Amino acid sequence: MDQTDSYPVKLYVYDLSRGMARQLSASMLGRHIDGIWHTGVVVHGKEHYFGGSTGITNCPPGGTLLGPPDSVVDMGSTEVPEDLFKEYLTSLGESKYRGANYNLFENNCNTFSSEVAQFLTGRKIPSYITDLPSDILATPFGQALRPFLDSMVINPGGNNLAGQ
Amino acid sequence: MADQGAADPGNNNNNKPEASEGTIIKVTVKTPKDKEEIAIAEDASVTQFKEEISRRFKAKQDQLVLIFAGKILKDGDSLSQHGIKDGLTVHLVIKTAHKAADGGSTSASSSTSTQAGSTSTSNPGTNPSTTTGSTGSAPPPTQTPNILTGFGDLGGLAGLGMGSANFMELQQQMQRQLMSNPEMLSQIMENPLVQNMMSNPDLMRQMIMANPQMQQLMERNPEISHMLNNPELMRQTMELARNPAMMQEMMRNQDRALSNLESIPGGYNALRRMYTDIQEPMFSAAREQVSVRNTSLHSYSESGAQPSRTENREPLPNPWGPPTSSNPSESGGGSTGSSSTTAGTTPSVSNPLGINPGSLGNGMFNSPGMQSLLQQISENPQLMQNMLSAPYMRSMMQSLAQNPELASQVLMNNPLFAGNQQLQEQFRAQLPIFLQQMQNPEALSVMTNPRAMQALMQIQQGLQTLQTEAPGLMPSLMPGGIPGIPTGGAMPTENPASSPSSAGTNIAQQQLMHQMLQMFAGGGGGGGSTQTPEVRFQSQLDQLNAMGFINREANLQALIATGGDINAAIERLLGSQPS
Repeated sequence: MDQTDSYPVKLYVYDLSRGMARQLSASMLGRHIDGIWHTGVVVHGKEHYFGGSTGITNCPPGGTLLGPPDSVVDMGSTEVPEDLFKEYLTSLGESKYRGANYNLFENNCNTFSSEVAQFLTGRKIPSYITDLPSDILATPFGQALRPFLDSMVINPGGNNLAGQ
Repeated sequence: MADQGAADPGNNNNNKPEASEGTIIKVTVKTPKDKEEIAIAEDASVTQFKEEISRRFKAKQDQLVLIFAGKILKDGDSLSQHGIKDGLTVHLVIKTAHKAADGGSTSASSSTSTQAGSTSTSNPGTNPSTTTGSTGSAPPPTQTPNILTGFGDLGGLAGLGMGSANFMELQQQMQRQLMSNPEMLSQIMENPLVQNMMSNPDLMRQMIMANPQMQQLMERNPEISHMLNNPELMRQTMELARNPAMMQEMMRNQDRALSNLESIPGGYNALRRMYTDIQEPMFSAAREQVSVRNTSLHSYSESGAQPSRTENREPLPNPWGPPTSSNPSESGGGSTGSSSTTAGTTPSVSNPLGINPGSLGNGMFNSPGMQSLLQQISENPQLMQNMLSAPYMRSMMQSLAQNPELASQVLMNNPLFAGNQQLQEQFRAQLPIFLQQMQNPEALSVMTNPRAMQALMQIQQGLQTLQTEAPGLMPSLMPGGIPGIPTGGAMPTENPASSPSSAGTNIAQQQLMHQMLQMFAGGGGGGGSTQTPEVRFQSQLDQLNAMGFINREANLQALIATGGDINAAIERLLGSQPS
């Protein structure tokens, strides 16, 4: 049997609120959330994530403006080699994950991470991350803020890879 | 190994399970753009599967790469080998024939146009050698060849985080990096290349004008373009930027000048206007971490009734001094009719948050939650800055200020306050002031200054300890006697006489306390305090320094003698009678 390489895949999780969500969410939202999560998928030595307006970007792991991740989830490993992965990302970036398609609730960095993780390893990312938008929308506060949150984009900064 | 299915590829059809014993399963095949459901025999081989797929997706079989559960499906394998069953999803990537097509050409073209002299700024100290451009656009090395790989192995530079396609991107990136690393700015400034460039006002002007936000800003305020066009001024500003100490001086002067404005009737509004028009867009231009596309949020009117302040009569009150009773009475009139005299303080320049030092000890800041919050804030100045300068935050503050009902509701639900009636009362009273102050640019600058926040925290801690050690000292500050939460402060057991829990206003105790303070101040920590007076009075020393008292020894002496009371220390230094 020929050996195919196996590349580890990790999920870097960042709390955009730097802990404030954990402290203030119960009072402001009416329910407790542990953080405002942003994620990036690290594979082949790079961190890939979907940012508003820049689209799919990559940078050295932990190299965004957010600094080192708050937690790292091991997603297993993948056989997908780097060039194939890049192709895949390019395709994604031309379809669902254009910069302009960024939507904080429905098509955000975590959606992207989830899809990529699925592609690479067949596993999904932890649900507390993907459930966040619906959790927030379920609160009256979230509903009230929705129109203006809708126009927000989150973009931690990196360099551009694909699809704009 | 591949002979489970029929060797003849033509045999397998969508509908008919010819010559294979397995059942038909439906497998979803998902590409980045597309998704199709394909029916295939359960025991089919990957080759057969690919056949089917190539028909459906109209691609050549050798362009297809199938991935399932992180594994690449090789032609020789079978579906069941990988555990592909009915209803599962397999990922497909269709390899394009020419990888050179996407990504390469676009970045190449845009980069060549921006190379003219502009890339040097985008390369702060880390990469001074790349003046010949092309840094911005070298795509990651594994990507296809493009024009720029001809420049040598500059592809590797992409890893430095400079791999973006155009100048705007670069600028933004640089800004972001600057924000995340304050020392970078000084590094950049020291880079001779940068300095060279900075001393060329024309170039600087061009660069600044190229930034779209600046352009917007300039449209709104033609004065800014005047400023930019004045070479003398530019040069001065460059000098300033180069020399951080000078910069601080100037900022301080400006601040003081501004604060004088405050006391003129109508001055507050003018200040506010100024802040809204100039600083705010600059802030948002500089801090694009969280950008709001909908700029209509920026339009907020000149609301916020001017707080009824008359001329500033009091000498700038000393927020660090021991809480005096003269404070509340004057401010009682100024604050919006709060009945509890200790809760409000007329916000004034040096006390922009309107914090009555007395109430700090037992006020809203007391709970551990708030404290850790403050600690976090002081540890992470970025947080506060971002929080406060995000445009939506400001408009939220705006609406909160306009609607105290809403604000009090929001805050009452805060578990920090729940269950503590008194806190709630106090806070409610302070609320309007508090909110207004949040919008005061002075307040904002205090809150964004980590040292200021730290100083505030130190004050609190000090006050809390004072409270527990000698509650008799501050009878006027404990309406209802909310006990402070001791923070293991620096005032240790040198005061054995007064028990921490006694709330009685004992004259003897007060005297004892005073004596202790003197001893403390004179001995510089006799009772086991862990810090030298110099360290303890660090912030006061800085204050005195800023005010122009440059004789550190004398300052220190004065501070020690007065126990950290800046006002008294100043008077001491000036030779008049200590108060």
